[in-house]
Amino acid sequence: MMSCMDRRTFIRRSVLTAVAAAAGSLPVIDLQALPAHAAVTPPLAVRRGADIPFLVRETLGALGGMDRFVKPGDIVVVKPNIGWDRTVEMAANTHPDVVTSLVALCLEAGAKQVRIFDRTCNDERRCYTRSGIRAAVEKIGSDRVSLEYVDPRAYRELAIRGGRAFERWEFYLPAIEADRLINVPIAKHHSIAGLTLGMKNLMGVIGGNRGRLHSNIAESLTDIASVIQADLTVVDATRILVANGPQGGRLQDVRSPQTLIASPDIVAADAYAATLFNLAPEDLPTIVAAARRGLGVMDLKRVQMV
Amino acid sequence: MKPSSWTYARRISQSFCLAVFLWLFLQTEYRGVDQLPYPVSLLFRIDPLAALADFLAPGPFGWQLLWPALIVLLLTILLGRFFCGWICPLGATLDGLGKLVGRGRRAYSPGWRRVKYYLLVALGTATLFGVQLLGLFDPLAIFLRSLTLAVYPAYNYGVNRVFDFFYEHEVPLLSAMVKGAFPVFRDHLMAFYQPIFALSLFTLLIFLTIILLERIEHRFWCKNLCPLGGLLGLCARYALLQRTPQQLCADCRECDSLCRSGAVRPAGHIRSECLLCMDCTGFCPEERVHFALRTGSRGSAGLDLQRRGVLTAMASGVMLVPAVRIGPVTHEQNPYLLRPPGAVPEEEFLQRCVRCAECMKVCIGRALQPALLEAGPVGLWTPLVVPRIGYCEYNCTLCGQVCPTGAIAPLKLPVKQKNVIGLAVIKPDRCLPYAKGIECLVCEEHCPTGEKAIVMEEREVLVNGALRALKFPKIVDRLCIGCGICETRCPVEGASAVRIINEGESRRRRPEPLAGPYG
Repeated sequence: MMSCMDRRTFIRRSVLTAVAAAAGSLPVIDLQALPAHAAVTPPLAVRRGADIPFLVRETLGALGGMDRFVKPGDIVVVKPNIGWDRTVEMAANTHPDVVTSLVALCLEAGAKQVRIFDRTCNDERRCYTRSGIRAAVEKIGSDRVSLEYVDPRAYRELAIRGGRAFERWEFYLPAIEADRLINVPIAKHHSIAGLTLGMKNLMGVIGGNRGRLHSNIAESLTDIASVIQADLTVVDATRILVANGPQGGRLQDVRSPQTLIASPDIVAADAYAATLFNLAPEDLPTIVAAARRGLGVMDLKRVQMV
Repeated sequence: MKPSSWTYARRISQSFCLAVFLWLFLQTEYRGVDQLPYPVSLLFRIDPLAALADFLAPGPFGWQLLWPALIVLLLTILLGRFFCGWICPLGATLDGLGKLVGRGRRAYSPGWRRVKYYLLVALGTATLFGVQLLGLFDPLAIFLRSLTLAVYPAYNYGVNRVFDFFYEHEVPLLSAMVKGAFPVFRDHLMAFYQPIFALSLFTLLIFLTIILLERIEHRFWCKNLCPLGGLLGLCARYALLQRTPQQLCADCRECDSLCRSGAVRPAGHIRSECLLCMDCTGFCPEERVHFALRTGSRGSAGLDLQRRGVLTAMASGVMLVPAVRIGPVTHEQNPYLLRPPGAVPEEEFLQRCVRCAECMKVCIGRALQPALLEAGPVGLWTPLVVPRIGYCEYNCTLCGQVCPTGAIAPLKLPVKQKNVIGLAVIKPDRCLPYAKGIECLVCEEHCPTGEKAIVMEEREVLVNGALRALKFPKIVDRLCIGCGICETRCPVEGASAVRIINEGESRRRRPEPLAGPYG
């Protein structure tokens, strides 16, 4: 479900509350986790197909079209996984065609600006290039679309209200301040989280020593996701990595389910993606923790397949 | 006294060469293509000292790479030290900054001129016997090293702080302009990441000292200390490009006091000392001075190197060898002495490396740092992989591409990805799962080899009195290439819980490795 107030209103209110409350005591903005909104059955679209642009269009169409998520004049952040210096076929990064097809839909829906970025693990110049995402985005050739390097100046430490693993963490402001955030992970194996999906992908918009999150990955990721709420999560399972994740490097670890999963509910999208790896959502502690905290629905019987 | 057109030509040439040098320097960075088209190593191809180091190192001479240096030598035999006066970027810097730092006019004893030849002879002799320190005094290496390790990082720091200021403070008009300029700077005029080096201050002090020597006399370094100047001076001894008049004129002795290289002496014009700055063609009040090609050396003065001095220099060069060799073999004593991928065996490495710091400039992951004493007494400024600062990027081959003397061999990517820099070792007293029962896999996650060289092994252990399943990282020796990303990224604060040691490095001839259960 989409949140009841839009992102800008939310930010403005939070900042005002913070300013009023803090009164000079803390130099941080006090962001309040959004109220739990898992009350009703969230829609979930799953489609298969080899033609990626068509697949993206079809999947989003099932959710009611991109117009439901992006309003004319919106500033949209599309957050793929571009974490690794790996080529497309290695399935370590989100497929460039998935990214550009989503961007095209955002533009059609009237987005004023579409910004694409990720805080990478390898050298970001190499990741942006070798993932194929740089070339694909340049091919769109629109001045409303920008693939940006993360600006180290733009992190701000925010308080995480109700955080279980952390009380505060550094977040990347452009991701928080955008009108819409579209989270586009690729589904991959991961030795501690089990899988890396939508929730894990949000690690790309936070600062700090991210390695520290792994000691309590489920609650940490839930803390992060409670602050940065994606309006739409699109899990790229056109290719998935079943071993040696999250960066892979061997074709024998890659499978091609040619599947796209989309939902406004990040937990539901992740829960469904788990089934592609023959796992139940309950097998993944991150999904369980997020569902418990009311960030979404993990019970696939309670989602509305569209 | 007005400068002649020759002086203007020289200044243009100096500025042009310096600009080319700086342009190449800026190109020596990853900017989106895996193969660098114009690395600054091109400049070392004309450096006869680098060629000498390569020539005296074991293995075949790199003709293909270093023939331009031989051309420079031939031209010097013909024309004299044109390189010093017209091309050398350090010379140009000294000429350019002289006015700023204040220029001394003290007439130093001509004996000082001989120091550079002695230095050359001593260093050359030591190199012949396997201790190569030419790079410490090579002007191109000094210039590039100072630029890389000190000037460029400082410049980047300054520019970045300016951008920071305008990012944090909204100044009308100006902020928008500065922000707009940022991508241009980041993509073309600055380093992508702020360069960080261990010996910045030390390197800068030496560079500043060379510049401040201008206060004693103009081009003090070039005239008295530069061994490349010495080498070119020796070649220029019978140069065909000669000055007329050879002698000081009876009615005017301006040349004696005005010549920046002190090449016009009462005894005559010394071609080995003349930097061909051409100023005398301008300042001669009678406009008598001109340069022309001719044979014979009537009236010119030769070099007086003094046999005793040369022999002493050779003897010191020879004595340097045991002085260095009697110490312990550093790379066997220091397990953390790691060299870039493709580095030749340590002994040959030290003979080839000219300490130009190009590999450190180009290193994409900031892994390469200059050594102080980590690599032994002669390892100063040689590149070390320091994984806690930065790691070797799996898909990058840049350091081998830019090395001008083959100390780091240029490796093709598939070969480089198998090249073993060292071996990761986990320290159980620091590693979170071992030491504290806390889950962590950051090293495994980042390990770049397709089949990971770090595997997670699940075991039930007692944590706080309760039995718990926990995953522990293990190194697979046969797969680990020692790239060091695990050490860089290890989230433990301070010393990393996983460290790379130089065991099993590809460049070392070694016995069969011990095969354990993890391979």
